[in-house]
Amino acid sequence: MNEIASILNIGLLQNTLRTATPVVLAALGCLMTDHVGMMNIGVEGMMLIGAFSAVMGSWLCGSWAMGLLFAMGIGLLLGLFYGVFVIKFKSDEFIIGVALNIFAGGLTTFLLRTLTGQSGTFHAPDGELSTLPRLTADWLGSIPLLGDLLNNNTLLVYVSWVLVLLCWLMIYRTPLGFWLRSAGEHPDSLRSAGRNPDRMKYLASLLCGMLSGLAGAHLSLGYLSTFSENMSSSRGFIAVACVIFGRSNPPKVFLAALLFGFIDALGMRLQSVGISSALTSIFPYVGTVLMMVLVVWRSERRKKKMARTPLAQ
Amino acid sequence: MKAGNRFSYLVSLLISVAAALLLGGAIMALSGYNPLDGYSLMLQGAFGSTRAIGNTLAKSATLCLTGLATAIAAQAGIFNVGGEGQLYLGAMASAYVGARLTGVSPWIAVPLCLLAAMAAGGLYAYLPAVLKVKMKVDEVITTIMLNSAAIYFCSYLANGPLKTAEKGVSAGTDSVDPAFMFSRLIKRSNLTESIFLAAIIALLVWYVMKKTTTGFEMKLTGQNQRFAKYSGIKAGRLAILSMVVSGAICGLVGMFEVFGLHTRFIESVSNEFYYDGMLVAMIMRYNPVGIILMSLFFGAMKIGGTAMELNAGIPSSLIIIVQSIIIFFMAAEEGILTSFQARRAKKKAALSLRKGDTL
Repeated sequence: MNEIASILNIGLLQNTLRTATPVVLAALGCLMTDHVGMMNIGVEGMMLIGAFSAVMGSWLCGSWAMGLLFAMGIGLLLGLFYGVFVIKFKSDEFIIGVALNIFAGGLTTFLLRTLTGQSGTFHAPDGELSTLPRLTADWLGSIPLLGDLLNNNTLLVYVSWVLVLLCWLMIYRTPLGFWLRSAGEHPDSLRSAGRNPDRMKYLASLLCGMLSGLAGAHLSLGYLSTFSENMSSSRGFIAVACVIFGRSNPPKVFLAALLFGFIDALGMRLQSVGISSALTSIFPYVGTVLMMVLVVWRSERRKKKMARTPLAQ
Repeated sequence: MKAGNRFSYLVSLLISVAAALLLGGAIMALSGYNPLDGYSLMLQGAFGSTRAIGNTLAKSATLCLTGLATAIAAQAGIFNVGGEGQLYLGAMASAYVGARLTGVSPWIAVPLCLLAAMAAGGLYAYLPAVLKVKMKVDEVITTIMLNSAAIYFCSYLANGPLKTAEKGVSAGTDSVDPAFMFSRLIKRSNLTESIFLAAIIALLVWYVMKKTTTGFEMKLTGQNQRFAKYSGIKAGRLAILSMVVSGAICGLVGMFEVFGLHTRFIESVSNEFYYDGMLVAMIMRYNPVGIILMSLFFGAMKIGGTAMELNAGIPSSLIIIVQSIIIFFMAAEEGILTSFQARRAKKKAALSLRKGDTL
């Protein structure tokens, strides 16, 4: 009983928020590209480069804000790069995504060694790295459970919540979002309405790059406060799975990412009961596969049901 | 591929490789190294001695097998991104069987180890393949997830239940009977007898893909599943089969690592070997002969890159950058060509208009 209590406590939920946030941000980026019909599996690599740029920015300029700016700026460049290849040169989006991921691994390792002379994990030579601030509000602290949960998170956790709302508003409640969606579904009708679908696609890949950069920044400056080689460890792919799971609808994708965060956090908690960390590290990956199977199974069943109803009447 | 098509493809490939090497040189120069030194060290490291040549050949064999594993699945229209996990499980399964059969005649034990590796890799590929074919679950994501799961699982086994009692081994299984090990063909190099097996597998894959009806049916399935189904091909079964074969090959690659070099399963049994091979396969558009040739080039770059890092301090990750630049160019090749042609056509049209020709 004590063991269960030590696993299922408020810390578990706090960890859920912390681990889910990079996935939420990367998934928001990825769903943009999914809406225009080019699912970007390169978010993994974009995230890794974002994490690296954030640490470099913070280290070189001595402020986390510059780190964020670096990550977003480089992310925008990567988004442009992806867009030029997929939209202008009509390359296979899968191949470009895979190549981007491999490129990101090589580039960050190379730059870490040449820029800082270190390898593996980055240690700021002049002491502390400026990391994302944690926010607290006194009035929240007075609320029992909720206060503990909502207080003392890093800045990007709150930003990601706002972004979920903003993305939803943009995609489903503004003309821009309407054009974005039709660029993926009916590019020809969009063209005859006088809008350029390619421009929408560029917009989506730029947003995707920026959000993936932010995701990386949270990973390196909020979650771990350092950069290490290949630190994205498939979180970008989990983000892609969340996009599929939530059918590219921001709030649903957000819930999927929270579910992933919960599984990940649960795995980490189980380590405290003496279960091997190698074993608990499997949790999020197997969880994602199960999630993917579940979502397809559900939609198949719905299809069958829909096909059956007219006959029953 | 038609002859003319193949020629223009080769030309673009050569240009892409040259451009990527130039860019790599520029990156070296920008980070304060001498690119000529770097590349000459790389050449030396790859071909400078018999030992170097042996290492290059061994590396190329690994790349070739993993590349062909990607290709055989991709030909049937299913992407196996999970080769890394299949490789780990193959290495683990064969190492376990090899350690358990200590003392048995190698003529019985080694084939069993080969089988164990193929079964482990193949079964692990079967799962995402069935999910893809029967339930339409995207195989790219599931195979990537299964990669991480397998790697962590093997690391759990090597640190926990199957950890060897031998002293001086930080994490790894019991070592296999030395009699089962492939012997080295060149002293102190990584080239072992396993390269003959690799050559046989490569030949078989080429033969099946290019010369048999099954290969043709796989191609049809990959190009248009519905058409394949209507022409009486069991498309789903074929896709699953090619994925299982792909996984089995990856499992064998893991077995070759254990029985050629490490004598036991260790956590660093592979260092993203599968992704390197996948890159080769993608660049060569899943053409088996092309993959065999290209893996020699990539193998030499990998081995040479390590020497470059040792002797000049240039990080070998530069090689990964150069290789991914090649794939960026090749993926964009068609688009760049057509945009050139479009521009030329536009110019021509503008010129002819200016001349006052009637359209």
